[in-house]
Amino acid sequence: MADSLHRASPLPGGTVTLEGATLSAAPEMGRYSLRARDPAALAALIGRELPDAIGACSGGIARLGPDEFYALLPAQDALPSGEGGPVSIVDVSARAVGIVVEGAGAARAIMAGCPLDLDRMQPGRATRTVFEGVEILLVRETETRFQIDVWRSFASWLWRSLAGVNAA
Amino acid sequence: MSGYRMEGAGRPDRSQPVRFSFDGESYQGYAGDTLASALLAQGVTLFGRSFKYHRPRGVLGAGVEEPNALVSVIRGPGRFTPNVRATSVEIYEGLEAVSQNRWPSLKTDVGSITDRLGMFFPAGFYNKTFMWPRSFWEKVYEPAIRRVAGLGDAPTEIDPDRYAATYAHCDLLIVGAGPAGIDAALEATGTRKRVILIDEQNELGGGALSDPALNPWLEASVRDLRAAPNVQILTRCTAFGFYHDNFVGAVERLTEHRADIGDGPREKLWRIRAGEVVLAQGAIERPLVFEGNDTPGVMLASAARAWLLRYGVAVGRKVVLMASHDSGWRDVFAMAKAGMSVAAIVDVRGTVDQALLDSAAQLGITVHLGSSVIGVSGRHAVSGIEVAANDGGNRRKIACDALLMAGGWTPTIHLWSHSKGTIAWRDDLGAYVPDKPNENVRCVGACAGKWDFGSGVVVPALPTPRDPTRIKAFVDFQNDVTAKDIGLAVREGFRSIEHVKRYTTNGMATDQGKTSNLNGLQLASTALGRAVTEVGLTTFRPPYTPQTFGALAGRAKDALFQPTRKTAIDGWAEENGAVYEPVAQWRRARYFPRGSEDMHAAVNRECLAVREGVGIFDASTLGKIEVVGPDAAEFLNRMYTNPWKQLQPGRCRYGLLLKEDGFITDDGVAGRITDDRFHVTTTTGGAARVLNMMEDYLQTEWPDLDVWLTSTTEQWSVIALQGPRARDVIAPLVDDIDLSAEAFPHMAVRLGHICGVPTRLFRVSFTGELGFEINVPAQYGRAIWERVFEAGRPHGITPYGTETMHVLRAEKGYIIVGQDTDGTVTPMDAGIDWAIGKKKPDFVGKRSLSRPDIVAPGRKHLVGLLTEDPDVVLDEGAQIVADPSQAVPMTMLGHVTSSYWSASLGRSIAMALVAGGHERMGETLHIPMPGTTHRAVVTGTIFFDPEGSRLNG
Repeated sequence: MADSLHRASPLPGGTVTLEGATLSAAPEMGRYSLRARDPAALAALIGRELPDAIGACSGGIARLGPDEFYALLPAQDALPSGEGGPVSIVDVSARAVGIVVEGAGAARAIMAGCPLDLDRMQPGRATRTVFEGVEILLVRETETRFQIDVWRSFASWLWRSLAGVNAA
Repeated sequence: MSGYRMEGAGRPDRSQPVRFSFDGESYQGYAGDTLASALLAQGVTLFGRSFKYHRPRGVLGAGVEEPNALVSVIRGPGRFTPNVRATSVEIYEGLEAVSQNRWPSLKTDVGSITDRLGMFFPAGFYNKTFMWPRSFWEKVYEPAIRRVAGLGDAPTEIDPDRYAATYAHCDLLIVGAGPAGIDAALEATGTRKRVILIDEQNELGGGALSDPALNPWLEASVRDLRAAPNVQILTRCTAFGFYHDNFVGAVERLTEHRADIGDGPREKLWRIRAGEVVLAQGAIERPLVFEGNDTPGVMLASAARAWLLRYGVAVGRKVVLMASHDSGWRDVFAMAKAGMSVAAIVDVRGTVDQALLDSAAQLGITVHLGSSVIGVSGRHAVSGIEVAANDGGNRRKIACDALLMAGGWTPTIHLWSHSKGTIAWRDDLGAYVPDKPNENVRCVGACAGKWDFGSGVVVPALPTPRDPTRIKAFVDFQNDVTAKDIGLAVREGFRSIEHVKRYTTNGMATDQGKTSNLNGLQLASTALGRAVTEVGLTTFRPPYTPQTFGALAGRAKDALFQPTRKTAIDGWAEENGAVYEPVAQWRRARYFPRGSEDMHAAVNRECLAVREGVGIFDASTLGKIEVVGPDAAEFLNRMYTNPWKQLQPGRCRYGLLLKEDGFITDDGVAGRITDDRFHVTTTTGGAARVLNMMEDYLQTEWPDLDVWLTSTTEQWSVIALQGPRARDVIAPLVDDIDLSAEAFPHMAVRLGHICGVPTRLFRVSFTGELGFEINVPAQYGRAIWERVFEAGRPHGITPYGTETMHVLRAEKGYIIVGQDTDGTVTPMDAGIDWAIGKKKPDFVGKRSLSRPDIVAPGRKHLVGLLTEDPDVVLDEGAQIVADPSQAVPMTMLGHVTSSYWSASLGRSIAMALVAGGHERMGETLHIPMPGTTHRAVVTGTIFFDPEGSRLNG
């Protein structure tokens, strides 16, 4: 029955063309906030490898801090709840939506409002940061493709803000 | 010479004439002219009226230091920019500029009466004269003074322009593209460094633009820089502030100089993080202080040089130089060689370099050494000067139409000063220069005090045989501060330059004293008889030059000003006519009027619908925190006042959160999902604050606990279904949860599905009725809301908003933290000490609850108030007194915190914080409100269903 229900996104459909980049909504994804004092225990519980370095992102899992990971998985991939283990696994799939910024001008568009030096951010890196006043999770998938994860209620503001970086 | 334009000189393109207007009169200049250069070329000398005395003023400088020639630029509706410097306004076809601070016209200004009465307007005049009566200041004095003494008019229309903004990173940021800045940039070409070179002018070159001999070098250098792939050049871009860790703010002007502004942004804010900063901002020439130094036509020698060599404009047909520094001699030599007539050089020094005297002789220029200008004739333009030897003798008059001042140079250390670099005094320069850096920054060129302009002497004011207390020798041209004002400040006891500055307003105008600070300092130092370094130097603060609010705001205007957070259900509310109210960053439906209902009628209807049938409410904005880990219960036990360890999975508890001081800071219901997982809710406004507070304790006090916090506010849409029919509505939609009162009691949580969507279904109530809060993943929020609403139609389901929610909870005496509490209310004060786990060894705030002032009698308690007249709804915030006939100021016992009309009770209800309130039950108190004083009886806070039987239905 759930499949027949309308699933709403705060983002408009379609793409927006910027100077040298396009803006589009990422598909629905599975999102998990993963916490553990011992990453090995967490890796064993979920049966996946975890990146070693903070800021690294592999297999859809980004290491955001010493004890914090964030999984961005295909929508159908579910993780176990970790009940009873020395970990915290929280399904936050609906908390955020993804915006894909792609093209040679993608980094420049994001730097309009993000204080990070994206010249120094390698593909395969992910970090929590801000776009102006809004917290985002920024994943550099390739040299020219970024995914921005943003909490649902801030998404329409962020979309409009990104869509206006050249025109504004 | 055509007008004052010199053939063959200057950079403006003579093949591109440009027409513009000033004060309604049409003029012609050329592409590359500024408003000032184009008007000077037409023989215009009068540009504005001064701030305080309304004295006629011309141009003093040729760049951003200009204090006098402030104009307003008009370019259509909403596009009115006051107080821009004519020396920085590039002309374009159709430019419309007007002068300021004059009435009825620039030439005939009534306000100039203040000039003749100048002796009655000394420093501090306004503060001394208009102090009493106090109430007059805001309504009478200040508006009147502002009208007379002012700058341009403030814009009154909404700014239609858009503004861009970006961050940028570089290894080397160079501020200023004069010869020193260009050299620094050239050094970095061919390296791997990312270089940004910014300059406030329309083209690179700085001082080199006024030196034709440097043209070939400049052209080659600019070509090399533009070809360098690692160098980004930004012209018309002003670095206005230097902040921590080499963070520099700059504004690039994109359309100000264009006839057609197009539809792009007007300006762009650059927020630059630089590895190293090189400041090459140059130096500004100092004026000399003597009577009449503000007459139109008296200007800096370096400016006259720029007018001639950069813009091809002679500032007069016969000029005189008044110098205390060699540089002015060289400037007038260049003018003489270009064909201008130099009537005389006057130098306050008794001797100067013989080479200068030889050159003057060769050019046929008369020289008066050991002499000073003691007066200037002409009101709207210089017609002549009077000169005397420094001992007062040998007075003579010289006819001229421009007087050039060469008083030495002041390094532009504004950004260096922002960066908190130290400065050192150089007696030989009579100026402060950069000393020790505080960031990775260095100064080069004239900015560092390194120049080849020759030498000079420092004179606070030129010698004069006249009574110095009766003349106007200006120090700060923009704020109309004279040498005698500074003398007065010292006589009245001011010793520090910071105080002298504030008393006289010297250096406090929009130019931040670029031409006046050092002269003011020298005058104060001389008057005090103390070394300059003991008198100090005032602090420079951003912005270096005035910037528009639009540029600083960037994209943050209109819809992008602030994110307006909306729930997944917000669209349904909008389609169904909701009236919204802002709550924290969210917008929430306040009520849903039908037809012509006002808020009162809509809320009454919504309240009765919930009490008698069923209402549906979007509670998605409630803060939610998932607390997970083996120590989850232990953690909550330490944070909240309540006991948590015995709470069974599937059950909920009201949680009360205090700060360390024992005062209530938040509350909410938490459900235990499993042994090691809690679903905690917070107030809407407290969501982020509570998470931060919990993280703070977890990381700093109890890092040993194995528990983690995850914000899940946005994961869940929350649909509150409240009222006796609530169960009937969802029963057909939920098939895997037993909804019966026995199996699913009040304050319980169940996991299951609604319409096939996974849900955390809470049986909770903030209304006092049977109620559920349906949590579903946010993308399903609206669809489930619509299904529930459809299912509720046969039961008369009514959507309600925050206003009804407030009334319903007040009828039950449920508090809203932040409305019924104000950060000074304890659980005992609020009458909810039942929520304190009496056997708990500790929780945040516990120790404070036994503080003497917390246990002392007479504290303000939360109580109910029932007005004697049931139709009177008290004002929230109204003060409460025991005896309304006591003398003013009365003893106030407290204030009304919540007050509503209760449709269910058919009367008004209120809650209030009242001193000793719990001991005043049944007492009548008085609430003075506009027009009348109301009487009300103190009661408990539960007005409706005190037994709570409806909750358990």
